[in-house]
Amino acid sequence: MSNVVEARMLSKWYGQVIGLNNFSIDVPKGITGIVGPNGAGKSTFFKLLTGNIRTNVGHLRVLGEEPWQNPSLLAKIGFCPDYDFLPPDLDGREYLRFVAGLHGMEGLKTAERVDEVLKIVNMSKDADRSMGGYSKGMRQRIKIAGALLHDPELLLLDEPLTGTDPLIRKEIIDLVKDLNKVHGHDVIVSSHVLHEIERMTHQVALIYKGRSVASGDLSEIRRLMSDHPHNIVLEGRGLVPLAQTLLTKPYTSSIELRPDRLGMYVRVDRPEEFFDSLPELVTETGCELERVESLDDDLESVFRYLVG
Amino acid sequence: MRMSLNVIGLRTVAAFSARKLLMNRRWMLVMLLGALIALVMGYAATADGANMDFASDMMGILLLMFLLPVLSLIYGASMIRNEMDDRSIVQVITAPLDRRISYLGYYIGLVVVLCLLITVVTAIGGLAFLAFSPEREGGAQLIVTFIALQYLGVLVYSALFLLLGTLMRQPIYLGLLYVFIWEGFIGSVPGSIGNLTIRHQLQVIASEMTDYGSVALTNGDWTMSMLALVALTVAMVVAGAFVLRREEIS
Repeated sequence: MSNVVEARMLSKWYGQVIGLNNFSIDVPKGITGIVGPNGAGKSTFFKLLTGNIRTNVGHLRVLGEEPWQNPSLLAKIGFCPDYDFLPPDLDGREYLRFVAGLHGMEGLKTAERVDEVLKIVNMSKDADRSMGGYSKGMRQRIKIAGALLHDPELLLLDEPLTGTDPLIRKEIIDLVKDLNKVHGHDVIVSSHVLHEIERMTHQVALIYKGRSVASGDLSEIRRLMSDHPHNIVLEGRGLVPLAQTLLTKPYTSSIELRPDRLGMYVRVDRPEEFFDSLPELVTETGCELERVESLDDDLESVFRYLVG
Repeated sequence: MRMSLNVIGLRTVAAFSARKLLMNRRWMLVMLLGALIALVMGYAATADGANMDFASDMMGILLLMFLLPVLSLIYGASMIRNEMDDRSIVQVITAPLDRRISYLGYYIGLVVVLCLLITVVTAIGGLAFLAFSPEREGGAQLIVTFIALQYLGVLVYSALFLLLGTLMRQPIYLGLLYVFIWEGFIGSVPGSIGNLTIRHQLQVIASEMTDYGSVALTNGDWTMSMLALVALTVAMVVAGAFVLRREEIS
């Protein structure tokens, strides 16, 4: 089995709302990042993978099996959802014992395994404290520990970095990398921030409005980001000569000069060429630039571009 | 392997769901109800002619007709529904445990907690009556009888309200209608329609268990009532287990 997940033409809708629409993806072994803005369908995808919901249309295989109404598959999957569900009155160790019981684990070996996963997620020190007093980062780590406890082949981490501070984010990113490299778990991790995923893996799938718009190596995604048309705002003095010169360049599609002549919007087809030539053009035309900013240098713009 | 998973999983769901119910702040409401029942029972015992018949009638009204269905509704209807609403059920449904087994675990947890609460409240109410009543003979036996009878009621009402909570987003409204209109009002109507209530079947069984009070005069075949309640309980638990298995939980 080369892919841990194979989805073909999946569709899932909730009444009038579409969660996934003709969604196809192959997820290879290793770490794969699912990237998309909020509401793109990432959580719906995870719920389908764990069999919490079923597809309306399409074909889905997780570790070679159909997930809906297949509890034995869940012994091979560890799921860490994006929302908070931890019972505040339990301490971390009690919670892990509860999870262990749900996986049919008990006894001395289970206690040892609980200690082991607590160590992996760096929560040994706080394991006997009530979870109601845990910070966001601690809650994320204990959730990951719960997902890891039964030593699953595949870990599903839905937005594990949401709401965490930069220090915790780094710890969780390092943990996710270790879970694959050191402990051998295949991991599917989602985020709405590309650069966070980039620090964990180069294998990425972009999802937007319920559709998989691109997947593969991150360098490909990066190329798409730099190649798609950009709207760039320029502000400063003496912009008219610059606008006239830019209009002669093949990469410029259009220019809109503001009435006050202190700003303009330039639409370019090849942003890299524009940015490379800009310093020279500024010197040539003698304008004084105060602001240069691309309005489309973000993931949302790439998504809009990719789906037309 | 599968057997061991099911047994440990069942025990885990039952234990943790029972613990969750007991940790819930609703116990304050139960204590309030318990205190109210103790107050009413204690006060009633001071009336002229208070005896075990009177105690039996009081227990029938306060415990069998009111406390038992209301507590079962409060705890049963919200048990799985609350976990679905706050999504804490995710831990259970993403474990390799068959959801039907998980449902049975929830049911057992609910029954254990309700039996515990019913025992405490009935004992407090019964003892309050005995403390102030001039006649006490047979009192302890009456308390035990009503506790046992309510255990049977807990089995049926828990199955009903847990099923409602699994089926519906707002089970409490239908549950209240059921308790107060069907069990309360229809159950009081003389004739065969009144026999179609859980309360009536419990009263028929009570008539076999005690000689005190008006319940002892209830007509009916207690074995048929027992069979009907057991069959109803099994049917509702099985139905609930299948509903949970097929339910999409997002």
